Amino acid sequence: MNVNVVYRLAILVASVAAFWAFVAQQAVAEEAPKVVRIAVVAYNLAGKTSYMGVDAVNNEGGLEQSLAKKGIKLEWVPASHSGVGPIINEAFANGTIDFAAYGDLPPIILNAAKPVVQLVAPWGSNGNSYLVVPANSTAKSILDLKGKRIALHRGRPWEATFASLAASQELTLKDFKIVNVNPQVGAAALASGTVDGFFSLNDAYNLQDKGVGRIIWSTKTSLTDQKLRGGIWATNDFVNKYPEITQLVVNAYVKTSYWASQEAHRDKYIKDYLSLVQPESVVRRDYENDSVPWKDRWSPVYDGVLTAHYQRLATYAKSSGLIRNDVSVQQLLNPRFVNQALRDLGIEHYWVARSAPPPVNVAQAKN
Amino acid sequence: MSIGIRAAIGLNRVAGRVHYRQLKLAAFVSPVLLVLLWGWVSHLQLISPQLLASPLEVASTFQELLASGELQEHLSKSLSRLALGYSLGASIGLLFGILMALSRNVEALCAPLFHAIRQIPTIALIPMFILLLGVDESFKIAIVIKASFFTVALAAYEATRGVSVNYLEVARVYKLPWITLYGKVIIPAIFPPVLTGLRIAFARSWTVLVAAELLVADSGLGQMMQMGRDMFRLDIVLVGVVLTGLIGFVIDRSFKWGEAHLVRWRVA
Repeated sequence: MNVNVVYRLAILVASVAAFWAFVAQQAVAEEAPKVVRIAVVAYNLAGKTSYMGVDAVNNEGGLEQSLAKKGIKLEWVPASHSGVGPIINEAFANGTIDFAAYGDLPPIILNAAKPVVQLVAPWGSNGNSYLVVPANSTAKSILDLKGKRIALHRGRPWEATFASLAASQELTLKDFKIVNVNPQVGAAALASGTVDGFFSLNDAYNLQDKGVGRIIWSTKTSLTDQKLRGGIWATNDFVNKYPEITQLVVNAYVKTSYWASQEAHRDKYIKDYLSLVQPESVVRRDYENDSVPWKDRWSPVYDGVLTAHYQRLATYAKSSGLIRNDVSVQQLLNPRFVNQALRDLGIEHYWVARSAPPPVNVAQAKN
Repeated sequence: MSIGIRAAIGLNRVAGRVHYRQLKLAAFVSPVLLVLLWGWVSHLQLISPQLLASPLEVASTFQELLASGELQEHLSKSLSRLALGYSLGASIGLLFGILMALSRNVEALCAPLFHAIRQIPTIALIPMFILLLGVDESFKIAIVIKASFFTVALAAYEATRGVSVNYLEVARVYKLPWITLYGKVIIPAIFPPVLTGLRIAFARSWTVLVAAELLVADSGLGQMMQMGRDMFRLDIVLVGVVLTGLIGFVIDRSFKWGEAHLVRWRVA
């Protein structure tokens, strides 16, 4: 190696180091946030990219306005819906976001190695999971799919729901050939008939509409306590450093949930907001004939049901080998901001806290 | 840059005292520097340790995966897919390339489609392969066949076309029987460029296979990395990254060794 090259390399390394030192110093010197960064799921519907929940929380919750009053900019960070969990987890670990709207299994995976985030505003029980089989399949229940190929994205929230469904028939993930693919690839695989089942969220209706799939099970009517229960997660650092700003963000989200949960706004919510990220017909069917009433689906209350849900997920994550350490549910769930928001909005008694349902046998499920 | 070019522009001039052995050692400088830089960056925690595990942690994860037998399982899956797909794709590609160069009919019939399809990145074809073949083994093997077939076929085609007419004329003058013509003239003439084609095809097949496994698989090195990412175990992902690079490098070097030792007549 030439002396000249070594010299140039040394300069390069030194300047990179100096740059990082500068960046690190800047981060420490910051007193108040100039910008709040929130990661959300980005969908692409008919060639247009939309961010889930952004318009609703700005228009109905006034998030952007209330941050602007304090001179804080709001920045939305998109996470492709093909891999929301890993993308947001990496962004949290990297310190490039302060909040994220996602859940519920991925944050447990993130917190397994080291506590990073906490749930500051639950969505309520909002997302249904569906089991779809090819249109020409004769399968009627999960029992008929034993030993067959199931497209399931591992580590995503609905994995635990699938495990519960299997456990309800005394099966485990090992009783199936799990093909670990994202929902888009899973849907393509189901359409081509190369998997015998596909487990995902309400995108299941798209398959049914195209005539390639048939929904044989969902959380609409069974295992209803296992609907997706994500929410707004904040980094522990941000919460400790800026509790007031956290409160402001949570207030906006709780206000939005309160607005959406009123029967009178149901139609507007679906038309104006949800139809941006999913076809309206899909959203409507997802919500129709559901055993959980509309209002309750939006409950941000930290009740026994929520705690039991997260406890079940944490236990599942450990027993299935997704994580190696135990995760403390107490550390994950922080009711302080929601309780304050409910008081601030004067709606402390609007939603009723429910006690935990009887335990489901998934905790014993061995993977 | 080929050695010839380097020699021509004087880049390869080595001072008298520097021995060949020292040059060989120089090859280890950049990987060692990279590992040192990696260790330094992870030690300073410039990047969150959850995202960038240190080289030592990655080494211990490697041992862990080895001890549990998980790694061997994934590796044997990946390598058997690679071996099957590559040997099929490369051998068919070799025959096809030679045939297309020798026969005007085959060339007229197949060349346009051949050249059109070979321009399409294999990764872009993954969704179509899934629709056609499903998510099972056949899909992954087909991806490898595609990647290796076109590269080898192109190399064989161009090499065969490039055989000097003079050789053939001399062969005609000597009235060589066709078996001698092929055995002593054509095959030795196309061997070096074909071997290079085989080497490039291998590298492409390997990267495309890992990419396909990242997307769709239940096993294999790519799937191990994908699952590592899903489980937020980026140390496992790094084990996969390092291994993918190492395996690619070792096999590439074996091909190069082959090029240098099998093609004796090329050595100046």
